[in-house]
Formats: sequence, C-alpha cells, structure tokens
Amino acid sequence: MSMKRYDLIIVGAGPSGLSAAIEAARRGLKVVVFDENEKPGGQLFKQIHKFFGSKEHKAKVRGFVIGQQLLQEAAELGVEVVLNATVVGMYMDKEIVVKMGEEVHHFKGDSILIATGAAENMVTFDGWTLPGVIGAGAAQTMMNLHGIKPGSKILMLGSGNVGLVVSYQLLQAGCEVVALVDAAPRVGGYGVHAAKVARCGVPFYLSHTIMKAEGTECVTGVTIAQVDSHFKFIPGTEKHFDVDTICLAVGLSPMSQLLKMAGCEMEDNPRRGGQVPICDEYGETSIKGLFVAGDVSGIEEASSAMIEGRIAGIAAAYYLGYIDKEELDAKYQENQAALAGLRQGMFAPENRGKLVEKTEEGIDVSMNLLEKGFIAEDEIERFPGVTHTKGIHPVIECSQNIPCNPCQDACPKHCIKIGSHITALPAVDENVECVGCGMCVASCSGQAIFLVQEDYEPGYGTVTLPYEFLPLPQKGDKGFGLDRSGKKVCEAEVVQVRTSPAFDHTNLLTIKVPSDMVMKARFYKAE
Amino acid sequence: MSSRIEEHPILGVQEKGRKVTFTCDGKAVEGYEGEPIATALKAAGIMVHRYTKKEHKPRGIFCAIGRCTDCVMIVDGKPNVRTCVTPLKEGMVVNTQYGVSAEPFEKQ
Repeated sequence: MSMKRYDLIIVGAGPSGLSAAIEAARRGLKVVVFDENEKPGGQLFKQIHKFFGSKEHKAKVRGFVIGQQLLQEAAELGVEVVLNATVVGMYMDKEIVVKMGEEVHHFKGDSILIATGAAENMVTFDGWTLPGVIGAGAAQTMMNLHGIKPGSKILMLGSGNVGLVVSYQLLQAGCEVVALVDAAPRVGGYGVHAAKVARCGVPFYLSHTIMKAEGTECVTGVTIAQVDSHFKFIPGTEKHFDVDTICLAVGLSPMSQLLKMAGCEMEDNPRRGGQVPICDEYGETSIKGLFVAGDVSGIEEASSAMIEGRIAGIAAAYYLGYIDKEELDAKYQENQAALAGLRQGMFAPENRGKLVEKTEEGIDVSMNLLEKGFIAEDEIERFPGVTHTKGIHPVIECSQNIPCNPCQDACPKHCIKIGSHITALPAVDENVECVGCGMCVASCSGQAIFLVQEDYEPGYGTVTLPYEFLPLPQKGDKGFGLDRSGKKVCEAEVVQVRTSPAFDHTNLLTIKVPSDMVMKARFYKAE
Repeated sequence: MSSRIEEHPILGVQEKGRKVTFTCDGKAVEGYEGEPIATALKAAGIMVHRYTKKEHKPRGIFCAIGRCTDCVMIVDGKPNVRTCVTPLKEGMVVNTQYGVSAEPFEKQ
C-alpha cells in the first residue's frame, strides 16, 4: 500500500498548528495540516475581542482577524490544510490514520506536531442534561460563527476569562445575562474583563454555584446557592432566576489522547489542566521528532499557543536538518523571550489559584474587583492610571499586572507609560497634554481606559467610553450613566459618537454627566 | 422574536446561504443552506433533538462542535447525525430521535 509522506504532519489547524506550519513551510518543509472541523482556525474565529499582549504579538487585534492572517500566510507558503479530516490514530514510526468522509487514509510524517487543543470541562448538577444547558464554547460557536443567539436569558457559570469574555459576547449579541456565578471566592479571569461585564449590570455571585436546572423538556429556570469554604451548599441561600439557557465555562482539558496512543510519556499535571505529554523547551515529546504546541501541552491562551507553535515549527525544521543549530538557537531565544513575557504577572502559571494581594508596584489590589467584578469607588484612586487634572485626560482603570501594552503606543503624545516591563500598570504622565483623540480608549483590549473632562461646562463634565453594542447611540440621545456596578447613577446626554477604522469597531461614546459623576459613570444606557 | 442576530456590533451582517425549506417531524421549517441543521432548528425554537434510549430524557445542543453527540437526530432516515456540524440542505427530512429510532417510544 502506498502511503503519502510529508516532512511535517500537523494535527489541528488552530493558532498553534497554523503558526507551526508557517514557520516550518518558510524553512522549506513540506507541511500538511489535518483538522476534523469544516473550517480551519480552531477557536480563533469565535474570538471577537481584541487580544492582550504586546504589539509584536498581535495585541489589540481581534481573534478572528488573527485567524484570517494565519490562514493567508499559511496558504502563501504552500501549506496544505485538509479539513473534515479526523486523525483517529497515531502509531509507531510516525504513521497516522485519518478518517475523511467514509474513508480511512494513512500518512507518514518525518516529524509530527500534535496541536489538538483542548476540550471543555463540564460540571454536573440536577438537570444538567436538559436542552438549554450548554458549554460556553457552544455559545460562542452559535453566536459568533452561526449568527444565532444561544438564548434570551442566560446564566453563566464560571468567572475565568472564558466565562467573562463569553458573557460580554452574549451581551453584544443581544442576550440578557442574568448572573455570573462561580463557586470560587474570587473572580478567576482578568479584572478588566470582569469590569466590562459588571458595568453592563450583570451581577456577580462568587462563592455560589448551581443547585439545579429547572424544566422538564428544556431549561426554564435555575437555582443557585452560596457555598462554604468546602464547596458545600449553605441552606437558606438559594436564589432562583428565570432563564432559558445555562452556560458552563468551567475550564478546559488538553485533548492529548493521540499522544498517549502513540506512547509518549505523559503526566497528570493539574497546573497544566490534566493529562499532558512530558516535553522539552521546544515542545518535543519523549518520542524524537514528535512535537506538541498549544493547549494540548498545557492550558494557556491563544497568544502563547501561537508562540509555542512557532517554536515547535522551527524545532521540526532543525530536527529534519533544514536549518542549523545557530538558527534554531536564535529563533528560539526570540520566541522564548516573548513567551516568558506572556507568562508574567498576576496570572502567570505559578500564581494560578493564589490570591495576589499587592501589585508589582506595591499597591493593594482591588478586593471588590475580585469579589464583585468591579473596582469600588474607594479603591480606584490608588492606581497609577487614575489621575485628576484640568481639561480632558485619560483615566486608566487597569489595576492588575497583566502582560499587555498597546495603550502606551496608542497615544500620539506619549502620555501613557508602561515602560519595558510589559506587566507594569500603565501610568499617566501628567506633564503631557492629552489631545482627546481617544486612540487609547479604542486600543485597550480590556476596555479599561476612559477620557474624562471634569470641566466641560459649568456643573457638567464628560466621560468618553468604549462602546461595542448595537444600536449605537446618536449625538443628542438622552439616557443614564451607569456606575462600575451597572447601577444607574445619573442622567446622561450623548454629546459625541466617534467611529473610525482605526478604532476597529470600538466606538467612542462621549456622555455629559454632572461634574460629581465623572469618576463614577462608566457606561451608558439609553432611556 | 427571532433568535437570529440581524446585525452584530463587531461582525456586522453575517452572510447566509439561500433560504431553504426542510421538515422537522413532518412540519415545514425554514433555514439557510449550509448552516448547521441545529442552527436552523434553534432559530425555529426547537430545543429537543432526541430522547435517550434508557431513561427517555430530552437532549439538545450542548457542545455545538460535534464532540458530545447530544444533538444527534434522524436526518433523511439516517440516525445519529450530529446536527450541529451537518450542513442544512433543501428538503432535508429531520426527525426527533427516540433512542436510535424515529418512532416515539410508545410505538416501538
């Protein structure tokens, strides 16, 4: 039987697989990528938010745009991407078996990269199998790929970045999110993601979880209750919500079955999300020439998956003799530095599950942000991005050390400083005059930057906020200013609406509010 | 109220295939060609895709990416078709799946 041969076979056309394909093909390898899905890109095409990170690594670009860029680059380099192709087996001597339609084909790779990503975890509770209980990934797939609302009234379980980001996307799709619930005592994901959900009025219930989903044919409601430090329900704390959908965002597990099948040395590592292969710094497993990259080798996020993919693609090129050790070392150093940058800060892998009480700058973190999803009024003033001055100026409500710096390059006047340490909190240089262009507001992936003018007219000031919802309010509209918790605090008039290709769908809404509300109003709601 | 998103603040107006008609349990349902069958059913408000064989419990969309098999139905006479990853075609005959049959349990 004849078997088609490739220099590098990649399983999974997501961010890491495509990045590896690009690096390997660029160095002359004949590369094929198999993916079981109808469309390539992994989860990137469902990611409609702007990514965090550094400018060099696609920060502030939306995930689906990164997906388009990777696919185009791979196509230009002659990478073959085979879809609807499920790799069902991997055997000795790097032979793989692929199911395409009703047929099974064999392929041989001189090297192989497994980039199969992760699968969603689930939790069980009474009624969890009812139609209407869905995974957060399902919600993203339905609304961002297929243009359909997953439900009209939704409860989200899970406050990690997936739960927070998907909650926000549900609001953008026009759904109502009635509550965000997590059994953990503190919000697991980025505070800025939590804050943009909270200011839309979504209540956070930390130390709570689902008791039961109600309904006979499908979900009609849900009951949650508070849990103690041993995750046991506290009687009398039950709360009911009328919902038609319950969305579960309770973590991811590596899809590492193929590696186990091939005989790679594996370990059960809870910090990496479960069963993962043991691999070296290039992603090479215990089997020479068999590499891994992305979530399959430990749960992180798409930005680091892309860099891991690049490293593995380059390492495969070295393994097959397409490049020398010098090029491998140089490229590895460069990518490793970027990866190390992404793994710094409060959400670094070694801090997982830990309460970090002070920022790198020595500032007390906002406990209200961790427990309620928004920074309290008596906490906000202590962060370096929050300043008061005459005239228009940015107020940067970025309070956690995360690896992200697009804001410092966004300001044409250079009034925002992060410095060379990517996780440092952005600070405002009060000696530089803000021109009110709003580029910082639109560039902040966490939507944490506002322009504030305390002296717009006697008794009134303005707040310029990022706005990614429809319908877009118009100049002259009257409504309400909502505070960081989503509570109506004042009347507000829209005095300016700015959209620009440079803002990439983040509209800038300027609202006029009473002067004493400029440090409180952070969202606008029409009457 | 339709659950379809007419215009999205980031994605704009999503392109759809041509409008087609298919049947679900004998009733005419409209959807767009090429979208997952499950999407068209969701837009029509149909939540239950199947009932489990042993306990006769309802199941619907769960993972939406073809992994969990909760959403399988009988499509053109073939059982266990994952409706969340199977593109819709004009005239498809879709039926609720009872166990692995199109016949409700009381008739099995």
